[in-house]
Amino acid sequence: MTATFTDRSPRFIRIVRRIPVWIIVGILLVVVVYPLFWLLTGSLKTQEEFLNNPTWALPEDWTNFDNYVEAWTTGNLAVYIRNSVLAVVPALFLTIVFGVAAGFALEVMVWKGRGPVLLAFLAGIMIPGQMILLPLFTIYFRAGLTGTLWPLIITYTAIGLPLTVFMMATYFRSVPREIFEAATLDGANIFRMFWTIGFPLVRNAIFTVALVQFFFIWNDLLIALTFTTRDDLRTIQVGLLNFTGQFGQIQYGPTFAAIAVNVIGTLAIYLFLNQRVMKGLTAGSVKG
Amino acid sequence: MNRVLGDWRAILVLLGPALLVYTLVMLVPIFWSLGYTVFEGNPITGFEFVGLNNFATLFTDPKIADALVFTLKYAVVLTIAQVGFGYLLALIYVFWLRKASSLIRTLAFFPVVLPTVAVALLFQELFKIAPQNGLVNDLLNLVGIQSVDWFASPDTAFLVLILMDLWRSMGFYAVLLYAGLVDIPDDLFESARLDGASGWRLVRHIVIPLSLPVLLSSIIFSVNGTLKVFDSVLALTNGGPGNTTTPLTLYMYQTSFTYGEYGYGSSIALLLTIICLLVTIFIFRSSRRDLTKG
Amino acid sequence: MTTARNRARRFVPLIAGLGATALLLTACSGDSGGGETTAPTDLTYLSFAENTSIQDTLTSLSTGSCSTENEALPLDITTQPQASYDQQLQLLAGQNALPVLFASGNSPQVAKDLNDGGKLVDVDAALEELDQTDAIIPAARSTIEALYGGDVYVLPTEFNVEGIWYNKQLFAENGIDEPTTWDELTDAAAKLSAAGVTAFSADGQDGWPLTRLVGNYLFRTIGPDALQKVIDGEASLTDPEYVEAAAAVADLGKAGYFGPSVGSIDYMTAVNQFLTGEAGMFYMGSWILANFNDPAQNQIGAENIGFMPFPEVEGGAGSRDQLAANVGVPLALSKASYSDDVSAWLGCFAENFGSTSLGEQGVITGFAVNEPVEDLPPLTQAVQERIDETTQSVLWFEALFNAKAATTSQTNASQLVTGAITPEKFMEMVQADLK
Repeated sequence: MTATFTDRSPRFIRIVRRIPVWIIVGILLVVVVYPLFWLLTGSLKTQEEFLNNPTWALPEDWTNFDNYVEAWTTGNLAVYIRNSVLAVVPALFLTIVFGVAAGFALEVMVWKGRGPVLLAFLAGIMIPGQMILLPLFTIYFRAGLTGTLWPLIITYTAIGLPLTVFMMATYFRSVPREIFEAATLDGANIFRMFWTIGFPLVRNAIFTVALVQFFFIWNDLLIALTFTTRDDLRTIQVGLLNFTGQFGQIQYGPTFAAIAVNVIGTLAIYLFLNQRVMKGLTAGSVKG
Repeated sequence: MNRVLGDWRAILVLLGPALLVYTLVMLVPIFWSLGYTVFEGNPITGFEFVGLNNFATLFTDPKIADALVFTLKYAVVLTIAQVGFGYLLALIYVFWLRKASSLIRTLAFFPVVLPTVAVALLFQELFKIAPQNGLVNDLLNLVGIQSVDWFASPDTAFLVLILMDLWRSMGFYAVLLYAGLVDIPDDLFESARLDGASGWRLVRHIVIPLSLPVLLSSIIFSVNGTLKVFDSVLALTNGGPGNTTTPLTLYMYQTSFTYGEYGYGSSIALLLTIICLLVTIFIFRSSRRDLTKG
Repeated sequence: MTTARNRARRFVPLIAGLGATALLLTACSGDSGGGETTAPTDLTYLSFAENTSIQDTLTSLSTGSCSTENEALPLDITTQPQASYDQQLQLLAGQNALPVLFASGNSPQVAKDLNDGGKLVDVDAALEELDQTDAIIPAARSTIEALYGGDVYVLPTEFNVEGIWYNKQLFAENGIDEPTTWDELTDAAAKLSAAGVTAFSADGQDGWPLTRLVGNYLFRTIGPDALQKVIDGEASLTDPEYVEAAAAVADLGKAGYFGPSVGSIDYMTAVNQFLTGEAGMFYMGSWILANFNDPAQNQIGAENIGFMPFPEVEGGAGSRDQLAANVGVPLALSKASYSDDVSAWLGCFAENFGSTSLGEQGVITGFAVNEPVEDLPPLTQAVQERIDETTQSVLWFEALFNAKAATTSQTNASQLVTGAITPEKFMEMVQADLK
């Protein structure tokens, strides 16, 4: 660092060498941002504009919020968002709590048979969701849970577990064992050790996993379609289908408006979580 | 020490809830579904015991072969692409953008949050040819290439599908891998730099080995996700043209619920599960071995 | 460390045990049947989420003509998107929990299966009991009987005729008279094409608008029983006279009459092409009247749209009078919950459904219109008259197929007209899935 101070050319070379990176970043921005821009402008277009104007055309009226009104009223958006939140948040919470605890028990604690149990969890990542629909429907129906959001909460929790357990186990594995062994020598209680040592150590990982799981179950269509028949239980993803007609007609404008609302909401959650991840990451540097 | 870390009661409390939910909601239904593989019929017409007929059909059904080939092709290509590009992005975040990467990271992650239906609609518009050209065909025309009917041939439809899923997932894998890369202590790089390592050699000898665990998790994650691809195919091509972009999951869903052949559908699901299992165990074992080595 | 072989051996009893459990679970869940009737407390109706007209008609009936019935047995509507509808019916049927009234699924096969399982009310007998044998109009009855092997166990809450809608102005400008034969039709298409107009607007993405042409061609060449013969095993789709139909439609595509890339055209785009005057002809069912009667969508004007039956093929056994028809998504009644209150509702449907639906939704049903409806749009009026004149109707290409063959037919249709697969190959694939 200090050596290059007087010498001009290496710095110049470094700037030149950075150009490809900036080009890549530039392309990336265009590729990512343009479709989003298209989505937002699309939500302001009328059906006629969609059908008769070129794809890249801007909306003719930038203050046309009819689509949003349509999405909010006909699309019943408020109810769908509420349902999505009511199903996803508890499921996410349970997945994380159960998953982190199980990951700790499987990786940090010492007992016979943890290999097979971990493998059994791992197998869950591989199961196609379609396979468990019929049995689950039967179970929920017999248990009298249909007509509520419980089938969604329970199923999302269970489906999220394999990956969470597996990833938490992986993260716990990267924590040096000496930390836990030293704690046991200090006579720490196992639950306190989990809370005060284990949990904080994998906090970044928890946020990452939570982020992953959130978008997984937030975007789920299959489970939500199968276990909700009442309109007042629909989640937002199922609700998006409302703008498609019986013969395949699509109301593009309201669809886009509904998607835009969905995206802005999830973006807020992402930004919030992202900030937490960052905080976690800087706090985690103690470990190094 | 083992008395504390091997306390059965604690293990039960920590592992119990997860295991219970997982067993009741995943394992039991799975084995329940496996039972269907020896039956024919559906809940409407009733079930009839057919022994191993469904498994025999698996080997003679030409659509299985098509779906299997497509599924594997898709999984391999997309895993390489999304983990590769994701890793590249993560490296850019960590080594070139550093602290400034937050905004770019957020933007690149953003497509992940879009609903599949919306993304598919977007890509259909971008790649459309009729009644008007989409953006892609317009760009092609600009450089003197004729418009392409992207969804009319299997190869181009496959390409669009890969591009779409890459677009959606790249930023996600970048964040996942970034979290792994950030954890590598800075002094390791410093000492490597002092030893004269730079650029590719630095990546090859320091970065890749140290980020191997998270890289392998990403690959396992990606392989399992891509082998089970369903939503994006359904929304973008619906398996077409013909059945040339139909993966096993879609064929299984159609078989069970559209064609009402529940038993055969379960057999297809079993086939898919076994494939996922084999691939994962393979990757998992190599990861364990590498870890103990490192 | 145990070796892999040892470990595998340890798992053998485990796997065997799990296998046995699996069988047991499956067997336990497999109980079905159940003939007993339990009187429902609501008139639960499960609808396609995408279809709002039936829901609206029912709601209107519940507060109007059928308010007495509604008091005894209140209407309760639930919906399920089309994509997962058949699956939902299967799941509900498996639990013996079918709604009192429900849309009978995406393909006629679903209702057939349900009826074979003894789960549906025999509508014919039920109507007879109510002294309402004339409630279903003859054309609709003929369509239902053709669809369901002679039995009537569904309610025709929609009745559509299908044919080719054409742009009168474009026809006049290019000196085209309404084609009555296939050759005249292809001539007309050639003239339109030469004038720079897309001859046929067609939704190739969904496929069915293309295979309907194949079906109609078969009904004109071989006769109204063309596809019944295939189902009965007397003929095969791979026979030369059947392949000819696929080839005829493929030729339309080869000549470019569907526009440059029909496989990428979705339903709305196809409708829009016709309604903005970019296309001269449009094969579609009469449900499209809702779009035609909407001035915001229809830029060529409703008075500018003509309707013609599918043309005859020279030397063929079928005739133009045999209009293609369907009953939309007919409703079925669950036998397990068919109580006196439900029967009262059925009686009210028989009397009022036809006129309420036509008057309020503009949707033509298979029920007799007992109270004349005033102020119908002229185009709807014309179609209604055409339906009244129709005595014999034909079905569509996939009507009698199982779900697998129907899917194969529709997903490969655009490949047929783009020339990606040959007509022989197309028919071969569909026939293979017919079993």
